Amino acid sequence: MAAMRALRAAGRAGLRLFRHRPDSGLALRSARPLWVSSLRSTNQKTPPPSFTDQTEEKSSAPPRYTDQGGDESEGYESEEQLQQRILSAAVAFVPQYGWSSEAIAEGAKALDLSVAAAGMFESGGSELVLHFVSECNARLAQLLEEEQKVVQLSSAEKKPTADFLRDAVETRLRMLIPYIGRWPQALGILLLPQNIPSSLKLLTAMVDDIWHYAGDQSTDVSWYTRRAVLAGIYNTTELVMMQDNSPDFEDTWKFLQSRISEAMTAGNSVKQVTSTGEAVIQGLMGVSVTLKNLTGLNQRR
Amino acid sequence: MDRAAVLGMRQLCSGLRVISGGKRQCCLPVYMVPARQCSSRVHTDDGDKALLDRVIRVDHAGEYGANRIYAGQMAVLGRSSVGPIIQHMWNQEKVHLKTFTELMVANRVRPTILLPFWNVAGFVLGAGTALLGKNGAMACTVAVEETISNHYNNQIRTLMERDPEKHKELLQTIKKFRDEEMEHHDTGLEHDAELAPAYLVLKTFIQAGCRAAVYLSERV
Repeated sequence: MAAMRALRAAGRAGLRLFRHRPDSGLALRSARPLWVSSLRSTNQKTPPPSFTDQTEEKSSAPPRYTDQGGDESEGYESEEQLQQRILSAAVAFVPQYGWSSEAIAEGAKALDLSVAAAGMFESGGSELVLHFVSECNARLAQLLEEEQKVVQLSSAEKKPTADFLRDAVETRLRMLIPYIGRWPQALGILLLPQNIPSSLKLLTAMVDDIWHYAGDQSTDVSWYTRRAVLAGIYNTTELVMMQDNSPDFEDTWKFLQSRISEAMTAGNSVKQVTSTGEAVIQGLMGVSVTLKNLTGLNQRR
Repeated sequence: MDRAAVLGMRQLCSGLRVISGGKRQCCLPVYMVPARQCSSRVHTDDGDKALLDRVIRVDHAGEYGANRIYAGQMAVLGRSSVGPIIQHMWNQEKVHLKTFTELMVANRVRPTILLPFWNVAGFVLGAGTALLGKNGAMACTVAVEETISNHYNNQIRTLMERDPEKHKELLQTIKKFRDEEMEHHDTGLEHDAELAPAYLVLKTFIQAGCRAAVYLSERV
């Protein structure tokens, strides 16, 4: 118990250090190797590794999703990078263990780290789900960007907006297929009160990415309506997908197609209504000017 | 890093493993989980992007509102003697709005959600002051343009403090627009803005409204 208390005190001290000097590279650098080496040593029972083999470990590491360039150049892995790496590895264990600390522990084990690494994540399952969602979003954005580049080089024709949106949403939803059995649990976690700000942010960021690459140029209220409609379509299709037993989720894609075309029709009718309204107003203005002229009220001031 | 510390930490960790009895849920009070990067966009500098977002959003809203004010004034005074002057200022504002619209699309900035409100409020303000006569309209122009120039000056200061090199183009744009807004302000004064009924009250009232609009548009 004494050991536990001592470690807690050490952790708190480290925390305080971080809070006082949030961007202090010194604190990070001195804390990180200690943490990493203690993790590895508990698992492998080997002598504490020298600091040089951390650079080796870094070079074989999978791609990172965060920008910590300043730290990387020093040859150390930041706390956050390590966490991202563990979470990325943990996703593979989700079908077996669900969105839980167990999956994170398995992920850490797969990286030759102690299972105690799961303790780094205060709310294990939530962090795992949020990490997975942001990773999927990043992948989608990358795919869309590549597609845009191909179009810009004019080796392919630009898709009509409706098709583009449908394909983007379908691509994104297909990323859930390997975890579809566990996805209801993930949705539950995403909807926990403490996770709602993060999950909303992720949803809006994704929808914004899709509209951006679809070539949206709106700078008025339609900016909001477009994003809201697409987010609605995405979420309802996601719900349909979870109950879909058809081969290759055919019913889901059919559902998606009809929702998108509905939205497009609605958008067109709104446009027509506004232009009709404008024409009617113009007509009324014309009538009033004519009346004024007839009654002689329209004299120059 | 001294060796003793490493050894100490190892001991603590192995002690913990024994205590927790292989339970995986053990909570190591390690360092705080850092804030997650939620957006899928890659931001090189979050603070910079946030600043740019605010600047472009509020300027776009301001130019949009200015356009509506001139539209309101033109609806009332379009065929009076000051019509061409107002039309000239309006045309410049249209260019400003277009520039910020382009910047908004290029930088993926969210427009303020209050645009429909500024649409109506701007028109009502323009038409309302124009109904007080041409001096009233000019007083409105003076009040609005003075606030806007001040606001642009503040932005120029902020951007200069942040990084004058990086924001060079935006700074040029804002400076140019600021000068044009000052011209409008002077035009207003030349056309007897100060002779408007209750000039000081009108001016104070409009400027308070403009500042509130700036405050809101930066945020929502």
